[in-house]
Amino acid sequence: MSRKHLGTALCASAVLVLAGCGGGQNAAQSPVKEQIKLVDSTPAAAGQLDQATWYMPKEPRSLDLDADAANSQSDLIMANVCDRLLQLQPDLTLKPGLAEKHEWKDKNTLVFTIRQGVKFHDGSTMTADDVLWSLQRHSADGASESDEYVNVTGVAKTGPNEVTVKFKQPDAVFVEAIAGDAGVVWSRKGVESQGKKFGTPDGKDACTGPFELSEWSPGKQIVLTKSATYWNPEKASKTDKITFKWGSDDVIVNSLITGAATGSYLENLSSATQLAGGTVTTVSQGPDTRVWNLMVTEKGALKDVRLRKALALAVDREGVAKAALSSLGQPWKEPVGSGAWGYEKAKFQTAYDAIGGLPDAPQQADIDAAKKLVQEVGQTQPIVVASDGSPVRNVIANAVVDAAQKIGLQATITQIPTQGYDMTDASVRATADLFSDDYFISKNDPVGFYKNGASNSSVQWLLRDPAYDDLVNKGRAALEDAERATIAIELAKRWNDAMPWIPVVQSPSTVALSTKVTGVPASGCYRYYPWAADLGTKGA
Amino acid sequence: MVALRRLGAMVLTLVISSFVIFAGMYAAPGDPVSFLIGNPENMTPERIAAVRAEYHLDDPFIAQYLTWARDLLHGDFGTSMVYQQSVTTLLGSRLPVTMSLVVYASVLFIVIGVLLGIWSALRRGTAVDALITGVTTFATSIPNFVVAVVLISVFAVKLRWFAVSGPGEGFFGRIHHLTLPAVALSLGAIAVVSRVTRQTMVEQQSLDHVEAARSYGLAQSKTVVRHVLRNSLGPIVTMCGLIVAGMLAGTVVVEGVFGLNGIGSLLVEAINTHDFPVVQAILLYMVIAYMAVTVIVDLIYPLLDARVLARSTS
Repeated sequence: MSRKHLGTALCASAVLVLAGCGGGQNAAQSPVKEQIKLVDSTPAAAGQLDQATWYMPKEPRSLDLDADAANSQSDLIMANVCDRLLQLQPDLTLKPGLAEKHEWKDKNTLVFTIRQGVKFHDGSTMTADDVLWSLQRHSADGASESDEYVNVTGVAKTGPNEVTVKFKQPDAVFVEAIAGDAGVVWSRKGVESQGKKFGTPDGKDACTGPFELSEWSPGKQIVLTKSATYWNPEKASKTDKITFKWGSDDVIVNSLITGAATGSYLENLSSATQLAGGTVTTVSQGPDTRVWNLMVTEKGALKDVRLRKALALAVDREGVAKAALSSLGQPWKEPVGSGAWGYEKAKFQTAYDAIGGLPDAPQQADIDAAKKLVQEVGQTQPIVVASDGSPVRNVIANAVVDAAQKIGLQATITQIPTQGYDMTDASVRATADLFSDDYFISKNDPVGFYKNGASNSSVQWLLRDPAYDDLVNKGRAALEDAERATIAIELAKRWNDAMPWIPVVQSPSTVALSTKVTGVPASGCYRYYPWAADLGTKGA
Repeated sequence: MVALRRLGAMVLTLVISSFVIFAGMYAAPGDPVSFLIGNPENMTPERIAAVRAEYHLDDPFIAQYLTWARDLLHGDFGTSMVYQQSVTTLLGSRLPVTMSLVVYASVLFIVIGVLLGIWSALRRGTAVDALITGVTTFATSIPNFVVAVVLISVFAVKLRWFAVSGPGEGFFGRIHHLTLPAVALSLGAIAVVSRVTRQTMVEQQSLDHVEAARSYGLAQSKTVVRHVLRNSLGPIVTMCGLIVAGMLAGTVVVEGVFGLNGIGSLLVEAINTHDFPVVQAILLYMVIAYMAVTVIVDLIYPLLDARVLARSTS
């Protein structure tokens, strides 16, 4: 799956934020950093940790990553249990995983050399046949990752430890997908012998990772234990046992404060303020792709791109970051976060810095420029911005109303219930001009995001440009990183010119840890990287 | 004969409520297919057709209802669309949590509520009476999630006397973990029950037979227990029954705040994700639980007052 919404997870937790509390201490004197510093990882662990309790917002629905029911909680857990052919690193680059190496034989042929001597958790040895079967399972109709295989014409075993993927057109993004759920290697026997039980609380895992799934008590907890036979002794787990539990934001915060929880990747940044700077917990942030955007619908009030640009000039991003994300988010000028820069980082940073017209906090000059744009347009309709009453969306909606008033536009807020806040539904889109949403991609490549600017996109409804579509195809096909980066930057520029979304704030990946432990990555890699294996104690 | 009529009425109630529940879910907005296929990029016509066939979504309404009802009679509540587990398994792990919470809270509010009620009735017009009335009135006026949040921050986070979340292991672990949630859940009910107890006892105290007992020189404690309290028990039991029945369906907020994976949180989640088989099963559970409580209350009445039995058999 190339894109995912946070959707209900966030909104459900928002309800309890309103309910408040969360231990209450520290809230007032919380020394939330003035300037956010993003790190890839927390300092490396020194000693072995015998057991950890990790909290997440809800129970996973399935642990079969090919199932549609699998969600971000499934990824968080199974990243530690299952290895992929390539492995995403905390710095968001790719390294060899279960494939020793991968190589483009020609533009349409990708060859994986399978690592030897790797054992599944049931003791059997991983073979090229398992890899072949796994890739076929991922690409099967209905599998959650099948859309990554659109350009694949066939997968075949071409040697005792070699699997070859054939494409109808070159596809650089496929390699990145292979480090995600599209590249998980299952034991064929392990999956097939379980039948319908696989992925449910009655099932077992069928993987090679540093942890084994040892218990899923539905409604209660999921327990992973360190694998004794992990193929990479250097990366053997520094934690012997990790228990996953779930609860609302308040439960997570209270469990961390009282020491009942070892750590948690926080989806709701406002709860992080209560944990930052305390003596029992630390909070670290790392790059992720998640950004809160205002998605412009085809309803009409913002049909003229000059009005979108004017609004982009006048929105107080710093104010939103402060009020909605407790200063743990950052004003952001692109629709996708810095976690997308999985290669050619410096190049992307330079291009990002050069983007104009999206100030952190609008100055008088910005407001004047925006006013001028509005005057050029002349007659305007009132803008309707949609909120669902959740704290972040309320703040963003109010920021839009405020910005509109400053530049001579009219804007009102309409409330849409969370369950109905679905921008992919045209009838919902007809009710408002602007919808706010936090959007993230699962691959660390701007091309993976900017493909959404294509004419056939289901998430933006204004950019319809054949030249842009061509460029998207070129970007996917560019196997050289430097070339793909250049194309991605060009795509970003064209996207920004057309501005189908107005970027507001970046929401970095955020991890809270007990002060006794360290080691886990802070970046968004935790969806696919075996992060829990790095968790350990501080002292030796 | 009475028992038979009663049983018939219950079966009829079940049939009607199951139909209403099913129809309600059927009429709910949103196409279940869009929830069954999580990834919008996988919405191919073939896949949609396959899913519709798998879940019998194209059958006429009555046929769907009958299929569901037939499976129900075989003890099969279907499979959760979200969790891909049988609904029985899902409920099986969550029912004990909710049940133990409700039982614990019921014990608390019945024992404390009745005792406070008796106390204030016997001390009618005194400072104690005023204090009890005042405090319980105040307690009812606080929403239970506020109580829950305050209890956690004081007793779990600050004082560390209780755990902040989870249902706990074993009998004593469960008692330890569920004390705060049970208090939060029962606080409002304590006020209601103590009021009802106080009121009915005050009324009973001025009745002729109580006056007579007192004039014969019967000890105060005996008058209260044998005549006043015993005759007040009818309304008290009715009230308690209603409150317990309501609690069985009203644990959701407390479960959420205390991180308990119970029926309430499952219901809300199932509604949000359009997991119809789960919603249907939980609503049916609530109907059955309500009926069970009322039956128990009806069975208690004759024990309290032999006239009830005499009336119903005549």
